[in-house]
Amino acid sequence: MMEKALIVARKEIAENFKSVRYWAIIGLFVLLYVASTYAIGFAVRGFGGLPVGGRARTVLQLSIQVVNALTYIAPLLGIALGFGAIAAEREKGTIRLVLARPIYRDDLINGKLIAAVTLIVLAISLSTTLAVPLAVALQNVNVTVEDFARLALLVLPATLLALAYYAIALFVSVNAGRSSHALVVSLAVWIFFTFILPVIVAFVAFQILGPPPAIPFNATRPLGQVPRQLQEYYSRYNQVVSTIQLVSPTARFSSLASALFALRSQSGVYEELSTALARRWIDAAVLATYIAVFLIASYIVFLRRQETR
Amino acid sequence: MGMVEYVIETENLVKVFRDRSGEVRALDGVSVKVPKGVLFGLFGPNGSGKTTLISILVGLQLPTSGSARVLGFDCVRESIEIRKRVGLLPENYGFYEYMAARENLEYMGKLDGMPAQELKRRIPEVLELVGLREWANAKVKSFSRGMVQRLALAQALLKDPELLILDEPTLGLDPQGTATFKKLVEQLVKLGKTVVISTHLLHEIGHVCTHAALLRRGKVVAQGSLEELARAYREARGYSYELTVAEGAGELLRELKGIDGVTYVGLENDVIKVRASRDIGGELSALAAKHRMRSLVPLAPSWDELYQFYQGGGWE
Repeated sequence: MMEKALIVARKEIAENFKSVRYWAIIGLFVLLYVASTYAIGFAVRGFGGLPVGGRARTVLQLSIQVVNALTYIAPLLGIALGFGAIAAEREKGTIRLVLARPIYRDDLINGKLIAAVTLIVLAISLSTTLAVPLAVALQNVNVTVEDFARLALLVLPATLLALAYYAIALFVSVNAGRSSHALVVSLAVWIFFTFILPVIVAFVAFQILGPPPAIPFNATRPLGQVPRQLQEYYSRYNQVVSTIQLVSPTARFSSLASALFALRSQSGVYEELSTALARRWIDAAVLATYIAVFLIASYIVFLRRQETR
Repeated sequence: MGMVEYVIETENLVKVFRDRSGEVRALDGVSVKVPKGVLFGLFGPNGSGKTTLISILVGLQLPTSGSARVLGFDCVRESIEIRKRVGLLPENYGFYEYMAARENLEYMGKLDGMPAQELKRRIPEVLELVGLREWANAKVKSFSRGMVQRLALAQALLKDPELLILDEPTLGLDPQGTATFKKLVEQLVKLGKTVVISTHLLHEIGHVCTHAALLRRGKVVAQGSLEELARAYREARGYSYELTVAEGAGELLRELKGIDGVTYVGLENDVIKVRASRDIGGELSALAAKHRMRSLVPLAPSWDELYQFYQGGGWE
């Protein structure tokens, strides 16, 4: 039953392996990662070159860099695989040759999906496998097996994020007549969630809460201690922000990925994975909902659509 | 006389496209019958509904109403069975340009359900047929328009289909390519295949067809064999013959002018052209024996002439 879908998937995978675009995204990830490793060098070491925060802080810094890099790379990977999936076939006319054969329309879209999942998992695994040991070596710190395991587990939320953007791009692609239109719309969605929504969210939060309370100067307050009123203000601010950001796949990924590196307070020991993830189930659910909704919508539109030209 | 077997039968087929600007009736009650084993032409100007009809036949589009059967299968419910047996060269198609010609055909063949061994044998065969064998490993992006068109023909032939449907097959072909194409389709018909050619370029490939349906504004204005369609034409426009004589045409010319219904007799070199308002084939055969004619040919109207006759004008 899946035979035709697998034929499509194999062809898609082979085609991507030969494409510069796919390898460029993997290369970009590794490059971004290695570059940021130099930056965190200053954060985790003093000027004398000695570690200032211990192993846990180093790994935490590393994870923040990986998560940041994935926040940009994973959606772009999903979009790169999704925007042309159907629109480019329609534009080039290959869809007419393919659908003139004994193949169901869902075989074509299933094949594209199988290929996308394979290529996404492969790209993220490969780049993480290349980049993490390289970064660890550059930092020259002790990293335990558990640290590595947690870094490796990042592949899962990153795959969810990439698939969420793939599903969005696929939906745009089945509706678009031209792949360039599909690319522009998909990138606009990514730009909105990554750059515009955080600005809007901050604006809305300030509109709701008003400006932060003015704290009079107190010479007896210990240095670094945040006044209680200000703590309460920022707690409410974060609540508003996280509520609105619930709709953002990018923010949900950051939240879920950070949970993998949550530490027990002050101890420098990781929280139990199950406990940390149980608190962030909503993040995984939002990402899964994006994938499901846009994939189902893509199926419905594509199965109902006729190839007129 | 045995029952005629039809490979394509459509009944009152209607296709309406709706968009913001309104409705377009691309097909308006099309009923077409294509007999098995013939070279069938689907003739009409751009926008007459040819491509829409073909798209419905292979399940790329659904009809608004009416029914269509191809090789006995229903076009809506059993389109997969149709696509297993039909080779299609669509009008607006493309190949994966970064893949070689052979890789493109391999992919199409696998989707057709062809076993690997058969593909290995068949791909060089079809590439040879279309004159692209030495380009098998070249990427399609390096191909000229004509080469791409030949590759498109190769993919349609790949599964050795019972029925070939070719939409504007000579677009982009040079005269030599067109001549090779004509020979190829005639050869396929001799092998028992049915070939449907949709074109608006009647002068290029129309004359190879033995049967046709003439479309105009989504309607079939006439259909049948060349002979059937020519009958009405001759009754309206007259019958034409060409006679070749060995010697002494003078007496023959006088006798020809004396036949009832003859409207024109002319001699050019050794060829006598005769036009009559009725069928004078019998009388001419008798004269042929008497005057030792080299040949006597009743002239059939061209598809161009037939199209103009049935349309009441030319392309619009």
